[in-house]
This record gives sequence, C-alpha cells and structure tokens, in this order.
Amino acid sequence: MSEIIRRDPRREWIARNRLHPDHASVLAALGVNRGGAAVSEWLGPHGVVRKNPHAIGFIGPNDVKRIDRSGFQQGGQSAATTPVAQDSRRTVTIDQPAFLVAVVPDLTGGRLSAHDKDLLGLARRVADADADQPGAVVAILFGEHKGEGDGELKEQALGDAGIDRVVHLNDEFYAGFAPEARLAALSAVEREMMPRFWLLPDSPLGGADLGRRLALRLGERAATGVWQVEADNEASLGWRCTARGGAGSLDIQRPLPRVALALAECAEPVDETRHAAEQLTLAASIPTTLSRIEDLGQVAVDPAGVALAEAEFILSGGNGVKEWGAFHHAAKVLGATEGASRVAVDDGFMARDRQVGATGTWVTARVYMAVGISGAIQHLQGIQRCDKVVAINLDPGCDIIKRADLAVIGDSTQILAALVTMVEQQRGGQRDAA
Amino acid sequence: MLETLLPILIFTALALAAIGAVRRIRLWRQGRPSPVNLFKGLAALPRRYLVDLHHVIGRDKMISNTHVATAGGFVAAAVLMILVHGLGIANPLLGGLLLLASASMFVGSLFVARRRINPPKRLSKGPWMRLPKSLMAFSIGVFLITLPTVGLLPEGLLEGGGSWLLALVLAGVVAWGLGEMFFGMTWGGPMKHAFAGALHLAFHRRAERFSTKKGGVGRSTGLKALNLEDEAAPLGVEKPADFTWNQLLGFDACVQCGRCEAVCPAFAAGQPLNPKKLIQDMVVGMAGGSDAAYAGSPYPGKPVGEHAGAPHAPIVAPVVMKEGKALVDADTLWSCTTCRACVEECPMMIEHVDAIVDMRRHLTLERGKTPNKGAEVLDNLIATDNPGGFDPSSRLNWAADLNLPLMAVLKQVDVLLWLGDGAFDMRNQRTLRALVKVLRAAEVDFAVLGTEERDSGDVARRLGDEATFQSLAKRNIATLAKYRFLQIVTCDPHSFHVLGNEYGELGGVYDVRHHSTFIAELFDAGRLTFTPWKGGRVTYHDPCYLGRYNGEYEAPRNVLKALGIEVKEMERSGFRSRCCGGGGGAPITDIPGERRIPDMRMNDVKESGAEVVAVGCPQCTAMLEGVVDASAEVRDIAELVADALVESPAADTSRRPTATTMAEEVIV
Amino acid sequence: MQPDLHQKQQQQGIDVAVLVSIGRHPTTGRARRAEQDARGLELALAMEAELPGTRISMLHAGSQDDSSEAALRGYLGMATGVGMGLESMTLLEQPEGSDAIPALAKHLAATSPQLVITGARAERGEGSGLLPYALAEHLGWPLVNSLASVEKVENGVVTLLQALPRGQRRRLKVRLPAIISVDEAAPAARQSAFGPARRATFEITPTSPEADSELAQWHLAPARKRPKRLKIVKAASARDRFKAAASKSEGKGGQVLTDVTPEQGAEAIYKLLKEEDVLR
Repeated sequence: MSEIIRRDPRREWIARNRLHPDHASVLAALGVNRGGAAVSEWLGPHGVVRKNPHAIGFIGPNDVKRIDRSGFQQGGQSAATTPVAQDSRRTVTIDQPAFLVAVVPDLTGGRLSAHDKDLLGLARRVADADADQPGAVVAILFGEHKGEGDGELKEQALGDAGIDRVVHLNDEFYAGFAPEARLAALSAVEREMMPRFWLLPDSPLGGADLGRRLALRLGERAATGVWQVEADNEASLGWRCTARGGAGSLDIQRPLPRVALALAECAEPVDETRHAAEQLTLAASIPTTLSRIEDLGQVAVDPAGVALAEAEFILSGGNGVKEWGAFHHAAKVLGATEGASRVAVDDGFMARDRQVGATGTWVTARVYMAVGISGAIQHLQGIQRCDKVVAINLDPGCDIIKRADLAVIGDSTQILAALVTMVEQQRGGQRDAA
Repeated sequence: MLETLLPILIFTALALAAIGAVRRIRLWRQGRPSPVNLFKGLAALPRRYLVDLHHVIGRDKMISNTHVATAGGFVAAAVLMILVHGLGIANPLLGGLLLLASASMFVGSLFVARRRINPPKRLSKGPWMRLPKSLMAFSIGVFLITLPTVGLLPEGLLEGGGSWLLALVLAGVVAWGLGEMFFGMTWGGPMKHAFAGALHLAFHRRAERFSTKKGGVGRSTGLKALNLEDEAAPLGVEKPADFTWNQLLGFDACVQCGRCEAVCPAFAAGQPLNPKKLIQDMVVGMAGGSDAAYAGSPYPGKPVGEHAGAPHAPIVAPVVMKEGKALVDADTLWSCTTCRACVEECPMMIEHVDAIVDMRRHLTLERGKTPNKGAEVLDNLIATDNPGGFDPSSRLNWAADLNLPLMAVLKQVDVLLWLGDGAFDMRNQRTLRALVKVLRAAEVDFAVLGTEERDSGDVARRLGDEATFQSLAKRNIATLAKYRFLQIVTCDPHSFHVLGNEYGELGGVYDVRHHSTFIAELFDAGRLTFTPWKGGRVTYHDPCYLGRYNGEYEAPRNVLKALGIEVKEMERSGFRSRCCGGGGGAPITDIPGERRIPDMRMNDVKESGAEVVAVGCPQCTAMLEGVVDASAEVRDIAELVADALVESPAADTSRRPTATTMAEEVIV
Repeated sequence: MQPDLHQKQQQQGIDVAVLVSIGRHPTTGRARRAEQDARGLELALAMEAELPGTRISMLHAGSQDDSSEAALRGYLGMATGVGMGLESMTLLEQPEGSDAIPALAKHLAATSPQLVITGARAERGEGSGLLPYALAEHLGWPLVNSLASVEKVENGVVTLLQALPRGQRRRLKVRLPAIISVDEAAPAARQSAFGPARRATFEITPTSPEADSELAQWHLAPARKRPKRLKIVKAASARDRFKAAASKSEGKGGQVLTDVTPEQGAEAIYKLLKEEDVLR
C-alpha cells in the first residue's frame, strides 16, 4: 500500500459533523472501535490521531459520565472480558494447631451454603485470634460433597472456605433424617479431638437440630441464635457472644460456651486465605446405634396443596386470564402451585386463600409466573421476595413488566398452551428415552 | 237452624283459638326470660300499630289500603259477629254495621286476591295462596248470614223445607272462614301474623324504636350486653330456645311478605342468606320440624328441605356432625352485613340483625368458629387494639406534621375528635386530614386521644366476640372518663353508633356526632364559607350505621347543599340505601357469592349518572374504591368540604393562639 | 372398607402431653398463647379427632398471675369441639426466673405420657429452643423436630410427617414414647373461644423450683437491629475500590419479548423454568 495519506474531504466532513446521519458509520470506518460502542479514536486527515471524548467512558451510578483512563474501561460492555480473577489468596497451613474449632456445616445440596461460609468465617476468627498459637478449623461433613466443580476445585472449595481439616462421613446411614447416627459420630469426634469450640449453623432442619442435640449430649448450655462474637478476657473461654432470644425480641450477651449455634451473617466468609482442608479419618470406629427414628423418605407433595407462602413455583392468574380451565391445566402440567390476583379472587375464579399480595399472602417463590396480572402495588409488594418473576401480559406498559425478569407480551391462553405442549413433549421424550 | 248452628260454630272456633293461643304462648315461653312491662306494652299497642307499623306498610299505598280494608273489616266483623250471631243480639244497627264491615273486608280480600294472581317473587306461596279465598269465604259467609238479621231477606227463606241445604252450605262457608280466621290464627295458618304480630308489637324487645306522642324515634342497639362475669350465663344463642321469649314471638309474627329479601344486599349478591327464610327457619326451630314446608325463595345455593331443627337442638351443626345439617348453616349467618335494610323494611318490626348477631356470638364465643380472617382480626384486636394488627403506638403517625392537640395535654376541650381505625389506613388518612383542616378553619376547640384511643369494638361485637368488645369498650370508657369534653365528633359511623348507642349500657354516656352533622352545624352557625361547587354531578351514599341505625339522612345532604351541590339521588337512597358490603365484619368473613355487594352499589352510582359519589364512612370508602373500573370517584364529605373551604381572611395562623388560650382559660 | 376398618381398630388412642408456654405478641409484647405451642396443641387436637381414645393433658411450668392466666386460657379456649378433655391444665407453679426443665422432666417422668408435643422455641426469656432437647436427653426419648402432622399410631410406633423447606414433607417412623416439636410448618392453631377458656380450671402442682442462676448472670436487652451486611470490596488499589463503588449494580430491568409467536414466548419461559430447575 502506498504510504501517501489520501484524504477524502467528504468523509472527513462527515466525521466532523456529529449531526450527519452517516456520522457513526464513517467514524467506524475511519477509526478504532473500542468495546463496540461509538468510535473514540481515528486517524485524522493529517495522519494525526483524533480522539472523541464523548464516545468514551461509561455512565456512573448517578448518571454522571465517568472516564476511566487506565485503559481498562468499566461499564456495560467490557465486563465480559474480565479475566479469571487472579489467584490472590494466601495459602495457610496450620500443622500444629494449639486447639481445634469444630464446625458442622449443613452442606445443603452437597455444597457449602452461604450460612456455612459465614460460620466458617466465624470459626476462623476464633481460631486465628492469637497469631502465635493459631487453632485449626475442623469441619465434619455428612453426606456427599459436590463442591463447586470437580477434582481439584472440589477440594479447593473447602480450603477456600477456611477449613484446615476435614472429617468426611459419607456413609449411607447418615443420609436423610438421622440425628442419632450423626450425634454418635460427633460424639466420637469429641472423644478423639476434644475441640475447644463446636460451631453449627442455627438453621432449621440443619444445624439447629443437630447442634442442640450435641449440646445436650455434651452437657453444655449452647448459645443459640448467635450473631456477634467478641473477644472478652473475662469470659472463661476468652470470648463473649450476643445471641437473639425471646423469639427475636431480645439480645442476650453471655460468655461464648463450647457449643454455639450461629445465625447467617454472623461473620464475614473467608476470602483472603486458602487452607489445607486435609482429610482426617477417625481412629476408632463409630459405634452404631439402634435408631428409634426411621426415615421413610420424602413424600410426594401435591403442588396444589402447598401453602402459597412456601411454594417454590407459583402460577398466578389475574384479570387477563380468560380460560380458567386451561389455566388450571397448565398449573397441573407445570407442577406449579396456583395463585391469583385480588381481582381474580373477587370475581370468584379462585379461592380467597390463593390470593397473592399485601392483602393476601406474601409469597417467596423461586419462580413466580404472573399471567394476565397488571401488577397493582399491593400485588408487587406481595411478590417482592420472589427470585424470578415471569410475566405474560397483553399490555407491555403495565407495572408487572417492569418487575419481571422475563416478560412475554401476547395472548396468555396461547402462550400457556404452547408452554404446556412444550413441557408435555419434553416429558414424553424423556419417558421414551427411559 | 242457623241460629243454633252459628253460636256453636263461633264459640267452638273461639275455644279452639284459645287453646291454640295457649299452645302458641307455650312455644314462645320456651325462650329465655326477658322483662317486659305487659300493661304498658298493651297500652302502647294501638299507637305502635296505627302509627309505626302503618308508617312502614304505607310505603306501598296499595297494600296499605288493602290491609286497612281487610284487617279493619275483619276485626270489626269478628267482634260484631260474636255479638250478633254468637250472643244473638239481633240489633239491626249492629247487623248493618256487620254488613258494612264484612263488605269492606270482602273488597279488601278482592285486592288480596288480585295480588295473588301473579305474585312478585319475594312473596311466599303455599298456604298464603289460599288466604284470599278464606278471607272471601269469611266475609261472604258473614255477609250472607247477616242479611236476614237486618231484614233484607225474608226470614223464612232459611227456614223453608229445602233451605236446610242452603243453611248447611252457608254454615260450611262460615266454618271455613272461621277456621282460617280464628282457628288458624293461633294454630299456625297465615293469620297467625295477626295474633303474634299484635303481641310482638306490644312486647317488642326494642321498645325505644317506636315513636311516642312526644315524637322522635329512639335510636338504640338491639344488642344486649352479655354477662361475662357469671360463668353460668349463656354466651349467645345456640338453640332456638336460647332466644328470649319476645324474640321468638317476633319471629312468629312474620308475614313472609319478602320485603326483607328484596332489600337484602347479601341475598342480591347471591350469598346464602335470605332474611325471610332465616326468620321462617327460626319458627321451624321453635316448633320443631323440617323447613320442607317453606314456600318462598330459598337461601341462594341451598335447596329447601335439607335442614331441620328442634327447640333444644343446635341451630348450626356442631363439628361432630361432620356432614350433617342442622337448622341453618354457619355461612348464612356470616353473610349478613348488619345493614338493617331488612329491619327497616319489615312491616312486622322483626329484628333480624340482632338475632343473627346473637347466633354469631355462640359461634365465636363457644365454638371459636369465626370464618376466614375473623379469628385473625379478633386476635389482633386483643393484642394490638386494632383490627389490622398495627403497632398501637403508631396510631398517630399519619398526623406527625399536623401537630394535633392531644387530650392528654389539654384535658378539657369542646370537641373530642375520635379518629377510629381509619387512622391506620392511607385512604382514610386523607379524610382525616381534610376533617382536621375543616375543624381548624372553623376554629373549633378540639383534641384527639392519640395513642390512647382504641378500636371502638364495633367489628368485634358484630363478629360475635362480646368479650373483646366489652374489654375494648371498658378501656375506652376509662380513658374518656379522664377528660372533659362537650361532644365527640367522628368520621366513622360505626364508632359513632357504638360510642353513642352501645357504650351507654357499659357506663359511657356521650354526646356523639358524625362529622357531617357537625359540619352542617358549623355551617349553619356561619363558621364556614365555601366556594361554589364546580365539579360534575354528585350522588350521596348513605352509610347504614349513619342512616338506618341513627336516622341521620339530612345533615350530609345539607352539607352538600351548602357546598352548592345538587345531589343526584340514587334509586336506593335514604332509608332504602343499599349497603356497601363493608359492615358487620362481612369483608372479614368474606362469604362467597355470585356478585360483590360494592360492585352492585357502584352500579347504582353509575345509573344515577354521577361522576362523584360522596360518602361519610371509611368502610364505604374502602369498599366502593375497591371496585374495579368504577365510573365515579369516591370522596368523603370532609374532603369535599375541605376542598371548597374559603379561608376567611381573619382566620390565619395569628388567630389560632387566641383560640388555644381560650381553651386554657377554660381549664383554669 | 373392611381392611380400612381393621386398620382403624389397630390404631389406639395414646396419652399426649402438650407443653405450653406464655407467648409474647411481637408488636405489643402482650402476653398471649405462644404461636408454636398453640400449633402443637392443634396437632394434639387433630390426633384426638382422628384417634378416638387419645387423651390430652396440658402442662405449663411458671408462675400464676393475671396476665399469664389470660394467656394460658388462650390454650384452654381451643377445646371447641365436643368431648375434648381440656377442661383443665396442670400448672407446675414456680416463680419467674426458675428453670422449667427439671420440673417438667420430673412431671413427665412421673406421668409418663407416650407422646410429648411442644413448640420449638419460647417467645419469652432465653427462647433458645433447647428445652425439647433437654427433655429428650433427660428422659432418653427420641425427638423429632419441625413436625407437620401425625399420620397414625400403631403398636407403639407413630408415623409422622416432618416439614422440609418449600412445603416438602418427609415421612418418619418413631418408636414411642417420643417428643415432637413443632414450628411454623405445623398447621395453624384454631381460634380460641372465650366460653371454654372461661370455664376451664387449673390444677396447680407445687414444685421445688431451681433458680436459673446462669441466665441471671447474662445481660438481656431489647434486640438491636442487626447491621446490614455491606458489599465489601477487596481490591488492591484505590482505583479498583472506587470503581466498584461507582459502577452501577447490574441486573435492573428484565427481558421483554414483544411481537413473538406464542411458541417463541413459551420457549423463552421454558428455558427459564429449566434454568431455575422448578420443572419436575
């Protein structure tokens, strides 16, 4: 190519004239495009690089434009290119722990829950209080640990959460509701390791149950609903805690006992260090107890009978639902619990106990599907704790659309029918394969 | 022959009637005792009948005249017949009068017959269909047998050889008439209403509802406070025999005219209530048996013939009878909005609403069966003193910027402003703000109780929870007793009724005014000036607890007139106003029907062509504003007044301290 | 019909003890029947209706005064059916601040009911929820928490449904005698009626109270609002921290599909439902 710079006055003129309809495309042809938005740099007519300050930067939280000159533009478009976070964690290994802090995470669904991670953060605080004589956090895991990924990553998840030692009990008799077997295992850990503290999450159907059993077995008066732990030299174990009591109406300050059941957000989860998560096995075998509680397994629950406040997936109908037969059928096929707006209830299409909203039931569904509901303020209040809201409505301007994570504008009867067909087809396909 | 036959017939009928009367009275006496001044009651009977009862019947001129002719003719004829034919006083003058009376009765019965040719739906059929024929039989029979007495027919006509047949036929006709009119009166025919009705008027449970010669109609509650201290005292009505004897008597007076059915909002909404059927069921229960013989409209959605009862059997089936049915289903009782439309229309002055609340009391206090949100609301009232379960210390939060004077500070004012539970409701707070603005503009010396106020107990009482009502009432009375004030003003007709008419029995006697009354008085006293109304057409919705319960129909209309508004009346307004559906805890118990009562009321508004409906009750506002796609805007009278206020130039803030000092001087 | 009847006959009524405490209204703090204990009683009453011959006794350890009596009568007012044996409640009298566990354990050991039902946590005092566990440990009985319903009792074995999150249920078989604790997952308590509450009586049993000395040493205060967790940004430089604070949080406004065929719309919804794993 020739070195001579050839000028195209017309294009230059267009590039200068921001009001020209072709401005953007000409600029794009001329210059460098950063991040897919407007062109911010191009070669000027004299071979000089020109910059357009209007085209760079991003809109900050207060609708003020911000320009980032580090060359690492923040904002909508470049977020995807963020590299994998650098591994900045410090690896810590505690070989000779001065004492042990035992933690029994819930491991809901085979993963450390947020509550578990907070609790491990608390355990770390207690263990690391004295830098010269650090304690080690030993986690007793019941059931399968799925981790965040496979292999290496799976073990790393435990170490990243702040666990130094792991006792993993994955026998089948710990599965389901087996408080007696689990308690026997924890008693064995107590005998062998004598941890200074036992920390459990105060979560219903998890640590709340097991922790209280353990405390009574150890003869300790557990602190429950702990949400704050502070060092206290006067206390026998060096810590004092603040616990919620009296159905959430009281704060009880007391010395931290050996067994504590802590609430979520009792401490910050570990995020700066990585621990060894070394596998331990118990030396002595755990005595098998004859259980007086037999778990017959989970019961199939009819979604229609699930209380609205508890339901996981709600199909809710309002004024815009024209064919209630099809609506009920859709709920049945989708396995959703039925809900309704006030209008649908007032008009007698649905029972009063199905009403969602401030005047009805406040729901906590993971997925809330609003069919033909425009979204009165009381209704939106009632669904504010739902994770995902799907709206099907004819009117793209109504309030529920603003709230919805996914909104489909169209005739609800047809869309529901299509959805039902799709689900039935998929189910049918699976059944054939199986 | 007739001369011998007639006295026998007449006195047999009278004797049988007397036996029937004793039996009937014994049926009523199954009820609980209720002290009544028998002589005073009987003495008041003529006036109650001629004035109060005919005031109600007179709303339908045609029937009124028919009744006057028939009943008047019958009473006169019956008395004269006993004299003339029974005792044989064959005085031509008496005979003439008897002819006249029976003729009048005959004319009346013709009209009765005409009404029965194509009767409106609300009328019961069955035995009532034969009544005109019986009336005619009696009147014709008496007429004919009297003709010879007066000498209009030759005496011999009935004495001839073949005349015994004629005499026998005549005697038969007279016997039929006597059977229906005398025997049936006390043994349970349609004419029972005359016997029971007359006694019911005399021994009415709520005697103050009748006018007196001094004029004026006493406003009262029909609900008597229960004795909660005595553990043996019954809580409400479980069995028909638990009603007081004069309530049972009242049920027996029902003529099944169905006027109550025609005005009942719950019936119109397709909820399972029909006041007429309810009263008839109580009669069935009192005598024992099944409702199969009932020949009127059933409770919507409930076929006739499936329910039965006995004087000492529960009215509502208890839980143990799982599928069984007793006399009445609970949802029938919970459908009532306590609007008293039936009571207002009833020509026999029957008190349906009080009977319903009496039965609700049993369901709530003994069985703990207040439906739907009822239990929750009652628990809230117990724990937080308001039905919504709001923090009682936040009762005055809405008025944080208004700087309302507190009773606790002032101790003595002219007007105590009772806010009601609307203070927790954002819609009603607008009304309250408007009212405060009006009071300030008129420089009224007022104060509020603030957080010392509690729910008046209206909802608790209508839901049958007398214990919670009395607890709230007693504490409110104790609070009010600490302060001195001339009158209480409130914008809530329910509080108005309870404070004014129901606290008296518990020791709290107050002069209570509804805000519309008070504003009307302020305007008449020249303390308020308004700019003329420029908005659209306005209609006015009478709240039941202001209108029918307390007779205040004029003041709100006067206020609207003062604002320059010409009220476009709805077809049903004044004492015939249709309920909004918000009373008696009906929105709480929420019994399903085919339609919603507020929708029907908003339809009435639409038909009146009004763009604004003025109301005077937080419940009505809430119910009517809850109607989807309403054609009219709902505004409280206080809001309309506040918008039209002309702040008189002198009435600026500089004047207000003077007003306060005046109040302070009063204290000193 | 026949085997059903047979089964019914095999089920026999048992002695149920319901432990009740004095609750506290969350807004006003007034004494009331405790929410969970009332649900426990409701469970017992449901058992009585299903299993003829079931006998319910109610037990409360505490002091007797006007406000607590009104609260306790709230439980007694739940005897609104016919033939319910709730005319009285056993009151183990002990002063405020005493430890309820020894008194209850002693009484239960003496009366030996087959099933003890209790709320999970008290609404007053420590409210640690340790009491059912302490009793279970004392008496050596199995304990099941978060109960939803009792299905049947057969030959000294009770079949229960335990509540799991999201309205799910787990079936358990437990050998009697046992303790079961209920929380919000159990069916709501029926309305308490004034009449039966007024007529019921208390059987007052004196106890040898043991003061809860440990609790007395603790510092109790009205609950403070817990601080909201802040989004803490760990960053190497000030620039990163500023950026993290200044950038808008994402995720506002959802996807809106207009002008799509019903099939396309359904497809999008189906995808979301799959992602959220709510289709079973």
